[in-house]
Amino acid sequence: MAEAGSTRSGLGRVLVAVYAVFALSATARSGVQLATKAGEAPLAYTLSALAGVVYIAATLGLAEVGPAPRRLAWAAVGFELVGVLTVGTLTVLDPELFPDATVWSDYGQGYGYLPLVLPFLGLAWLVRTRPRPEHAT
Amino acid sequence: MIEPLQTILIVVSLLLAVAAGVYVALDRSPDNLLVGLAGLLELGFLAQAVIGIVQVAGDDDVASPVTYVGYLLAALVVLPVGVLWSLSERSRGATAVLIVAALTSAFLVVRMVQVHG
Repeated sequence: MAEAGSTRSGLGRVLVAVYAVFALSATARSGVQLATKAGEAPLAYTLSALAGVVYIAATLGLAEVGPAPRRLAWAAVGFELVGVLTVGTLTVLDPELFPDATVWSDYGQGYGYLPLVLPFLGLAWLVRTRPRPEHAT
Repeated sequence: MIEPLQTILIVVSLLLAVAAGVYVALDRSPDNLLVGLAGLLELGFLAQAVIGIVQVAGDDDVASPVTYVGYLLAALVVLPVGVLWSLSERSRGATAVLIVAALTSAFLVVRMVQVHG
């Protein structure tokens, strides 16, 4: 069982692991794309890089690294949800918008829709592990 | 081009994922057997990285060498980090981290085969 208030314990371990995989893949992929063919789809690659940074922030927040990890996790996962919904909707409405795919294109279809499911899991986990008022830190 | 080593890596990765799944179901923490299997798999990935980089350094026709080497190196990191993160707590969730690491490893090999072209 997860200890009260800890986002990195129990099921949180798996969540952190999945976020870490996305952080690594999104960052590395966009890094290679920006380094080798930035001109082809600058907006898409920059967006991928931004997604990578958001995933890194979410990973660190959920893993309880840094001075205010819970706040960091809320912000990152919240941004991630807005990002995947916005980019997903835009790319579904206008497939020509980005010349090359991003993690969030078509609601993360290229990644088995995991990018769409992940922020909901992250928010649910943050709510579930929320510190109770009497134990507030 | 899919090589015998890559087939072995995919099969052993999936085997590790299934084995870790059994451990999670039985609520057992990873023991020497499971960690040993992960270590063996890591040796395979090390061999793949060496072979792959030697091939790329030669005049092997790789569609996108940077991405390919990136995948080779990324695959080296996944299992050790996954094992460390998994062993640092005794819980079902912690053991399940090995499933994530193993599936990611298998997926990386599949991507390598695709990228190699």
